[in-house]
Amino acid sequence: MVAPGALRVVRCGGSGLRGARAVFSADSKYLLCASGDFVKVLSVNTEETLRLLCGHADLVTGIRLNPHNHMQLYSSSLDGTIKLWDFMDGIPIKTFTVGHKLLALYTLASAEDSVFVVIPKKGERDTFQLVSVKLTKGTGQDLEGKELSVVLDGVGASTKQIAFGREGAYVVSVKDVHLQVYFFEKKLLNRFSLSTVKTKGDNRFSCVVCHPREDCIATGHADGKIRLWRNFHHRKAYTYSALHWHHDIVMDLAYSVEGTRLLSGGVESVLVQWHNESSCQKDFLPRLGSPIEYISMSSDGVLCCTLHTDNRITIINSNLRFSRSIQGLIKSRDVKTGLVVDPRTKALVLNGEPGHLQFYSLQSDQQLFSLDIVQRQYIHQAGLKQSDLVKVAFSARGTWLATVEESEEVTDPELQLKLWFYSEETQSFALNTRINTPHDNHITDMCFRDMDELGDDSLILVTTGRDCVFKVWVMVEDSDPEAHHNVSWSCDFIGSYHNYQATNCCFSEDGSLLAVSFEETVTVWDSLTWDLKCTFCHPPGNIRNICFGRLTCSKYLIGATDYGFLCCWNLLTCALEWSAHLNIVILQPDPLSEHIAAVSWLSKESSLFVFKPSEPRPIYIQRNLCKEKILLAAFVPRDEPEMISSEKYLWLRNSQLFFLTDTQELMTLSTKSLEERLTPSSKQLAVEESLPVTPFSVLLGKHRRQQAQEDIDLGKPVVHNKQEQASPAVKELLHTPAHVLPSASFLCTIFINSLLISKENKSAEEVADEVEMESEKAEDESDEEDVTAMEQEDTSHVELLGEITCKLSKSQEKELRKIRKMDYSWISAF
Amino acid sequence: MGEFQVHRVRFFGLVPAGVRCLACQPRGTRLALARTDGTVEVYNFAANYFQEKVIPGHEARSVESLCWAAGARLFGAGLGGDITEYDLAGLSAARGVDGGGGPVWSMVANGTGTQLAIGCEDGSVKIFQVVAEGIQFERNLDRRKGRVLCLSWHPSDTHIVAGSIDFFRVIDVASGQTVQRIMVNHQVEKAKRECVVWAIALLSSGTVVSADSFGRVQFWDWQQGTLAESCAVSTSAVLSLAVSEKEDSIVVGTSSGATYQLQLLPVRLGGLEKQWVRTKVFQFHSHDVRAVAHSPTALISGGLDAQLVIRPLMEKVQKKSYDAVLRKFIFPHRRLVSCARKARLLLFQFSQYLELWRLGSTEETGKDGEVLPLCQMPEHLLQLKSKGPEHIYCSSISPCGTWLGYSTASRLQLYRVHCDGDGVSLSKVPKAPKLLPPAYQLQFSAASDSLFVASARGAVHVFQLQEPGGCKHLHTLRPPSGCSEAVYLLAPSADGHWLAAVSGDWAIHVYNLKCFKHHCVVPSYDCAVSALAIHPITNNLVIAYSDQQLSEFSIPEKQYTGWSRAVQSRGLHRVWLERDSPITHITFNPKNAAHILLHDTFLLCVLDKSLPLPDDGAILMNQSTLKQLPETARKRQLHAFKICKKFQPLLFMDLLDKNCLVVVERPIMDFKTQLPQPVQQKKFGT
Repeated sequence: MVAPGALRVVRCGGSGLRGARAVFSADSKYLLCASGDFVKVLSVNTEETLRLLCGHADLVTGIRLNPHNHMQLYSSSLDGTIKLWDFMDGIPIKTFTVGHKLLALYTLASAEDSVFVVIPKKGERDTFQLVSVKLTKGTGQDLEGKELSVVLDGVGASTKQIAFGREGAYVVSVKDVHLQVYFFEKKLLNRFSLSTVKTKGDNRFSCVVCHPREDCIATGHADGKIRLWRNFHHRKAYTYSALHWHHDIVMDLAYSVEGTRLLSGGVESVLVQWHNESSCQKDFLPRLGSPIEYISMSSDGVLCCTLHTDNRITIINSNLRFSRSIQGLIKSRDVKTGLVVDPRTKALVLNGEPGHLQFYSLQSDQQLFSLDIVQRQYIHQAGLKQSDLVKVAFSARGTWLATVEESEEVTDPELQLKLWFYSEETQSFALNTRINTPHDNHITDMCFRDMDELGDDSLILVTTGRDCVFKVWVMVEDSDPEAHHNVSWSCDFIGSYHNYQATNCCFSEDGSLLAVSFEETVTVWDSLTWDLKCTFCHPPGNIRNICFGRLTCSKYLIGATDYGFLCCWNLLTCALEWSAHLNIVILQPDPLSEHIAAVSWLSKESSLFVFKPSEPRPIYIQRNLCKEKILLAAFVPRDEPEMISSEKYLWLRNSQLFFLTDTQELMTLSTKSLEERLTPSSKQLAVEESLPVTPFSVLLGKHRRQQAQEDIDLGKPVVHNKQEQASPAVKELLHTPAHVLPSASFLCTIFINSLLISKENKSAEEVADEVEMESEKAEDESDEEDVTAMEQEDTSHVELLGEITCKLSKSQEKELRKIRKMDYSWISAF
Repeated sequence: MGEFQVHRVRFFGLVPAGVRCLACQPRGTRLALARTDGTVEVYNFAANYFQEKVIPGHEARSVESLCWAAGARLFGAGLGGDITEYDLAGLSAARGVDGGGGPVWSMVANGTGTQLAIGCEDGSVKIFQVVAEGIQFERNLDRRKGRVLCLSWHPSDTHIVAGSIDFFRVIDVASGQTVQRIMVNHQVEKAKRECVVWAIALLSSGTVVSADSFGRVQFWDWQQGTLAESCAVSTSAVLSLAVSEKEDSIVVGTSSGATYQLQLLPVRLGGLEKQWVRTKVFQFHSHDVRAVAHSPTALISGGLDAQLVIRPLMEKVQKKSYDAVLRKFIFPHRRLVSCARKARLLLFQFSQYLELWRLGSTEETGKDGEVLPLCQMPEHLLQLKSKGPEHIYCSSISPCGTWLGYSTASRLQLYRVHCDGDGVSLSKVPKAPKLLPPAYQLQFSAASDSLFVASARGAVHVFQLQEPGGCKHLHTLRPPSGCSEAVYLLAPSADGHWLAAVSGDWAIHVYNLKCFKHHCVVPSYDCAVSALAIHPITNNLVIAYSDQQLSEFSIPEKQYTGWSRAVQSRGLHRVWLERDSPITHITFNPKNAAHILLHDTFLLCVLDKSLPLPDDGAILMNQSTLKQLPETARKRQLHAFKICKKFQPLLFMDLLDKNCLVVVERPIMDFKTQLPQPVQQKKFGT
């Protein structure tokens, strides 16, 4: 079923959660949040993404529950459509095309068949208006929503700048220093402005919410104040009081269900709870990690959730206790470390929270853990120079981790090189050596000599710096008996070349050669004697990236210059093999094959080239990979080689290529169609939640798995299939209530037949066909069948197949592939 | 070189006393204020909050509470245990009646102003009847243990609430019995901290509003004795509370210097259910806000930092005018400094003593704005303590520096100053005039040969000064129509021919000193006169009113001058009219007859009558922009008001000679350091 169509670029993580406030489902079991072009349905209890509602073609800007049906969700997007979803099943029910960019969405219980959206005003830049859209009642799925009526003009573009009052009696909009309230019934519009002259700080409005029971408006301001407005139906006698705790902009506010508590959050990463609008009574939930962007309350008031600027979701109990945090790819201010793959966990490693290293699991779209490297308190304050992590490198087996941190001072950076050892006991990295000022200027690159077979003795770390040297660091036995570790790291060799700045370094696959680029020149050094072997140069232009070829192509060295050349040198002849005119920004070799991926950036589009160093012609080219600029890329080894039918995509067999764009969205290339790519685990979880696991099902599952394993070991798929075929009959017998069963004499023959082993001799292929067909039938018949058990059986099946494929003949492989197909079709039935 | 050599005096160590209590005249336009030193001041809202009357204090008379009763009668009571009525026409404390219950902590008048209730140290609440001659004890109400710190009448006069420590009680006036005793710290009794009810109010709905030392403002149902609502407004004690007449707004002052407004607002727009909500916070004071008042259009607060702050309620102000701007008063609206021009002496008036200083001098000259080195430092010549417990009403030194006089409530003292070399000695003038009522203003004539004493009932006494140290009463000038109010400002002409006197009813009488006759009355203008002076050459009387209007009246012609009429018809600049403080002194430039020098607390202005008046569109304070303009463009931009804001706050300014100016400043920070430490508060970022 693998379509030989084009490769698709798929977003797989890191999508911004910043489009809209998150929404709790009516029972507070699920959390819905806009994530890029999708709406994520998250389970509050398990933190898993249950479902991804995809269908919008652009950023989702607003999500709201249908006030008339709590199982339905409205979503609006920049693509100009409002979609109504059944979010429990992930089905789009209706699509209303409005035709304008929709920037925010609001629903009201009192408005029968209309919703409110913010759209740009025609003919004027940067002015927006709040309009109500009449949602036409029609039978079809795609409907028009063109009946617009303007409610308010000159509103803010952010969803936080408009709020609807108690029972939808009025709507409030804030923008800059102006607040406007429109009363629907009286058709009265009141405007209030704050004075800008006398105030010291910036008192512009940042957000607004309305009290759910009383007529009170709470507004947040850029100077950190919260103002509570009352009596605002009087133009003159209106009044407000101010609460002040935040020292910087109030990012969002939320009222509790009864309105007795007000929550506020900002860049301080502290959630503040104000009681009874009193400035004396307040509670704090500090250290939430990163600035709070949105706050939302569940309708029963039990939970509250904050969305943070680094795409983290925190769920907080009503008594202001931290409950859990849902974190995917944490957005850091700047990914300086690049994308690194942890050899141990196969997790993607990059900058996370300030000063931290995040380990991001690609499979589960979750952060595995966050390692504090800098180990200093981060202060959220503009203009403060703080230390951050800039480089990271793992040794081949992941036992050593090297990190470089530097302060943000441009002229005199405080540098620290830290070496961490993975401790098996604590299952985490422990600091082994800290080297202050390893180089006199910024460190540009760092790599370990990866040699699995030689063990720890061969472990060498090379760092290159702008102080025109590269340094080689080795482990030495510690003489000090009181030291915690018996080894530590120290500098072994300092190399330089004509006083040029060292920019990149790279070891050959066998570790015998080290390539270091010095501005325009690539130097190759012998890693045993540290002799300069040869130099390569492709003027003009400095070397931007270098890497060695692997496996069969290990005699080649690839380099990219910032003058737009990609060069391949032959190390044996010391000559240029070939070169191409390409503005390469990323050069990434696949660790498991000889393929090298290069991403170029030309005239605002990124293109991907995959090539083997031995051949100047690329294997694969994809122009215009995505709209955003691609900053980083990494090959991540697959757990099992993927079956790829097309010759063109064979380079994706062993490893998967991931990209990070400048908006810190993680993307990958996939050969599968959209439906297939959805992780089966999410589907499984959904069902799992509805079906309790009974001891019986576990027992049955174990039994089945054993049987399946035995069958495959014996190489008797036929027998196994026969049993499969029999099971529905037996099951039907057992599951059907006794009073509707036909007479025992009628059932007897079926039962006996099901136990018989067929003697017919079919060719292997035919059998496989039958298997597929019949198993499908079995699925259809037995709806209440224990799913967990089947699932487990399937996975074990697949794992085994992965091993077998390497040894089996072509025909057998074909047959097995068919069984594989069966698995997938079975899954898609859910 | 600049136009004037300026003596910038900063050695006047005046520390204004803190504000102890405030009382708004019910349905009136006056505000009475008592300071911690016992001074009572009356401000007039109608005259731009001008400090109309000052009754200096008395060592033995502290004022804890002030109240207006029977219309415009002002009563005060204090820890001395007496109830004093103030004579506002004669500017003196009139009669004292012993309260009979030890120190009096609070006093309130009932709604009709016929009865006064006092709360005493011994826990009693006593009722006094206001009668024509004073007050008369009527009865005692139920006495309970614990000093009564605050009182409030029900608007219908049937009940009184009395706040004490840890509780307050509701007393039925008719029976005199306590009908309800409510513990305010019931919830926090375990804390064992006493909770002082500092202020209380009984609303017409029967709600009792209490403000306590825990920083709470609580609303009680007085019949059930239950707590209806509690607003924790502050972490520091709430010391004072005032309710608006409509009972929809409350202002409270706290010991952290913040004042809070609470408003009765509908829970839902258009709904009937209402609740009290804390709305606005103002942090104008640095110290305890001991007194607050709620006028119909403004929140008024007075603190121990001596500031009186008037914060207008924008929603109550009809049009944007003087009333719509925040006002802060620290310094009195009258002169405390007098200057002997020829002798270069300055006389500073403090509450109970005088200080005489000789100005420093320099021989150097420099450029505009340059600080010149002194060759002779300013010298503190002497300190003259007033005898007795009474505070000084007024003081003056003659222009030649040989005569010095001051007056207290009961005595007028006149001294001869002997300057022999470095030493200075005083000799009391033996037969000093014995005048029964106190003198409100002393003024020596320009030639230092006569002394004018402003007195009660519009009278001005003229004394002839005789060398080597004697004086003789020459004449008493009285307005022909009679007057009940005291004279508070005097202005003699330089040629000794004329004398202008302003009495409390704001009428300006001009007398001819040659024949001791009433010359004329300046046409009445319904505003207080804040300063006046007679031009030495033209004998024009220049008058500054507290609403910032200026006029020039020609004494010989008995009519306003043409320039004055032009000013009236044209109107003054808007910025000039919206200034904070009134003009307190006027003087003239001998070099240029068209120049009038004026000053208030924040600016010094040279008014050039020869230049056109500024339009509303022009910039009033344009000195700095003018400096940058070329000569030709500068001509076009010039207007009559040349304003200098360099010296602040400015207490006094005078011309010593034609190119020498003396200014007396009192920097706020200098006197703030002499106040006690305020409540320690954590400030973000420190």
